[in-house]
Amino acid sequence: MTGNYPNRLAIELSGVGKKYRFFSLDNIHLKVPEGQIMGLIGPNGAGKSTTIRILMGLVHQDSGEALVLGHPMPAEQVAAKWDIGFASEDMRLYESMTLGWHMNFIQSIYPNWDTAYAQLLLKRFGLRAEQKVKGLSHGQRVKATLLLVLARRPKLLVLDEPTTGLDPVARHEILRELTDVMADEGRSILFSSHNTQDVEQISDQITFIDRGRIIDSMDKEMYLDRWRRLRLEVPYGIKLPALPGIIDVRQDGRLAVATANAFVPDLANAYESSGARVNAVENMTLEEIFVANVEHSREEVEA
Amino acid sequence: MRGSVTGHLILKDWQIHRVPILLTMAAGAIALAIFQWGGETAFVVGSVWFFVALIVIASMLPIFSIVNERKKQNLPFLMSLPVSTMQYTTAKLVSTVGMFLAPWLALVIAALVLIEIRGMLPHGAIPITLILLMLPLVGFCFIAGAALVGESEGWSTAATLVCNSSYGLVWYFITQIPALTDTWKSPVAVWSPTALAIFGGELASIPLILGLTFYLQSRKREFV
Repeated sequence: MTGNYPNRLAIELSGVGKKYRFFSLDNIHLKVPEGQIMGLIGPNGAGKSTTIRILMGLVHQDSGEALVLGHPMPAEQVAAKWDIGFASEDMRLYESMTLGWHMNFIQSIYPNWDTAYAQLLLKRFGLRAEQKVKGLSHGQRVKATLLLVLARRPKLLVLDEPTTGLDPVARHEILRELTDVMADEGRSILFSSHNTQDVEQISDQITFIDRGRIIDSMDKEMYLDRWRRLRLEVPYGIKLPALPGIIDVRQDGRLAVATANAFVPDLANAYESSGARVNAVENMTLEEIFVANVEHSREEVEA
Repeated sequence: MRGSVTGHLILKDWQIHRVPILLTMAAGAIALAIFQWGGETAFVVGSVWFFVALIVIASMLPIFSIVNERKKQNLPFLMSLPVSTMQYTTAKLVSTVGMFLAPWLALVIAALVLIEIRGMLPHGAIPITLILLMLPLVGFCFIAGAALVGESEGWSTAATLVCNSSYGLVWYFITQIPALTDTWKSPVAVWSPTALAIFGGELASIPLILGLTFYLQSRKREFV
């Protein structure tokens, strides 16, 4: 069922746009190579779910092209969805039916359904097939949905905020399972969340999205390498120079904090040469990088 | 792939909603049993119960099967499966119309048997009985179409209100048509041109409503 995608991109969005009355998705370019986990991070209302619905063929884009496993969407959504496992935060199973009924239902559709793996997941997630969905907790429902998605052995997993509202133990169990899934190098995952910790834990690549625009997209390690916070002491009379790679400087009296999105040791040297003292060069967490990136992007748009 | 996904979706609906279908059939059977009792009171009580059973299921099935699926957020689960919007629409209409047709046909056949074999009413009552029984089927298709296309409880409630408040009025007008009532006590069923025109109009409106539903669904650019 998988289409031909010689460039080995599981997902390729090119210039995708979608206009609503109060929101628009603008010129989205996104590439997820096969075998990679892409984390899509954005604040609430950034456009993560709309992007995901477009690549699932559930929302038709106004412009641009969406290719999923080599299939143009939404035209070939049926063919593409045979190999996609999709779970979203707003997805619910039938309350009056048991998990076992849902497993039989999915098994009757998908030839790749792995019964042994489904049983293993039941055990790992602490679920019981005979239990009705209405009796499950939120965490158990998320795990049940994920079981139904994973046991069909999809080539691409598209997960829209799957860990929202989960306790730390349930989150850990789900993230561990996703990491295990990636032992098969042919699989790919697109994982959207506003929880940067979850994304940082499992992603190879990260894309930041805000107000309908992709503001940055690169390898996770590259983000962590390139972003730094420099704590400076600025004597009176000294003016900090504008340096390339510094996206934000906040000064309060003699103390200043500069944020670099393309850090090289020469930046610190340049500040020292200007007469300032570099007290510390700190690594940033993904959450700090995300917030700084969003603020910088909004300032650029508003300027 | 094992069979068509559309087929699995239809079967799924029948499994989930088997209880209301069985309850309607039981309610209809009770109505016909009362009907058989004989006498004017039994006739009125049985007829009212019979139509109420059909109207209730015509109103409730689209809510159970279509509106709740969207309201209870089951739709993203279904649309994650390898189906298109039109395949989902086909499955939903076939399953929902089928779910209504099962008790409707059973009750219509039982009513005809009571007239034809048991002689509960003269055969002349067959055309007007069928015309009256067709209305809940037409109304059901209208409510189901509105529920699918409207995507909200509001639209399906509005369609239900329009239908349910129209039945009495339409039945009243139908029973005022001399071409139908004049032959009502005839020992044989008389299909006058008027009776045929009304019955044909009811029949034709069903594919028209369902066709319009498909057309409007096919034009949607957002589905979930």
